Amino acid sequence: MTEGEKRDRSFREEALPLMEAVYRFSLRLTADPDRAQDLTQETFLRAYRNWDKYTPGTRPKSWLLTICRNLFLRKEERSRRHAEIVSEIAEEDPRQISRESTVFQAVRDRDPEGEFWARVVDDVVLRAIGELPSVFREAVVLSDMEDLSYEEMSKVLDVPVGTVKSRLFRGRRILQEELYDYALSAGIVEGNPSRPVSDRGSPGRVK
Amino acid sequence: MKWIDDFRRLLDRLRKEEPCGAPDAESGISCGEAVERLFEWLDGELDPKARKEVGVHFEVCARCYPLVMFEKSFSEALARLSPGEGLPRELEDRILSSLGEEGFTER
Repeated sequence: MTEGEKRDRSFREEALPLMEAVYRFSLRLTADPDRAQDLTQETFLRAYRNWDKYTPGTRPKSWLLTICRNLFLRKEERSRRHAEIVSEIAEEDPRQISRESTVFQAVRDRDPEGEFWARVVDDVVLRAIGELPSVFREAVVLSDMEDLSYEEMSKVLDVPVGTVKSRLFRGRRILQEELYDYALSAGIVEGNPSRPVSDRGSPGRVK
Repeated sequence: MKWIDDFRRLLDRLRKEEPCGAPDAESGISCGEAVERLFEWLDGELDPKARKEVGVHFEVCARCYPLVMFEKSFSEALARLSPGEGLPRELEDRILSSLGEEGFTER
């Protein structure tokens, strides 16, 4: 087997099976199926051209998602705004954020088993994820949908692990509040005046 | 923001409920210490010692149980998401075709 054949074989076995994951991530980044297809295609072209730089034995998923995200950021010319947002949230303590569940405070009395989330349907959750500010959306998608570790996310997002935690924890909290507001407006939960949650939604309880 | 006020109230209440931040006898850590590491625990990111401490605390602590279940079911709901947006067949063909132009051989 020639070097070229070996290279193609490892690309075929390690990178190509991740086409769907890269497309999913592209969809979350672009929120547009046509642009997501273009981004996925470009990611694989770039990955193939640079396959020699991939370290065998490491997880190709985070490597591909890094390429995907970098292409997206460059195309969007969002780096400057992105850096501004990063500087704002980088100082927050992720441990403190992990305690901030106002939605839990609102539903706890009537939902001891945490069934609240099962009532919110998938497309609503996906839409709410799509509406998260991009730094939080990336973190939630990479961790909760693509199952990357904090260390892998740190590489993909090119930020310290502490910042990964801040973004992820804050992103989850924002998402919970968005979904809770939806649940109130859709009548999935009822208002409860004693437990306010956010400025937008009236407080509530699980039916 | 209103939720920040709510959060402060929650912290105040936790402090009142734990006047000396006393750890439980089984895990050696308090509710506050366990809850601070809840997401890291759920994400499997704690070192073995911390993972055990937090896990034991959540097993024995009735006060933490509802919050743990709430966050756990939220994580599970996200992990279960079925986006219904599998890879379009034409995209796979497009990618393989453009890779072919770069010299990639499928077999």
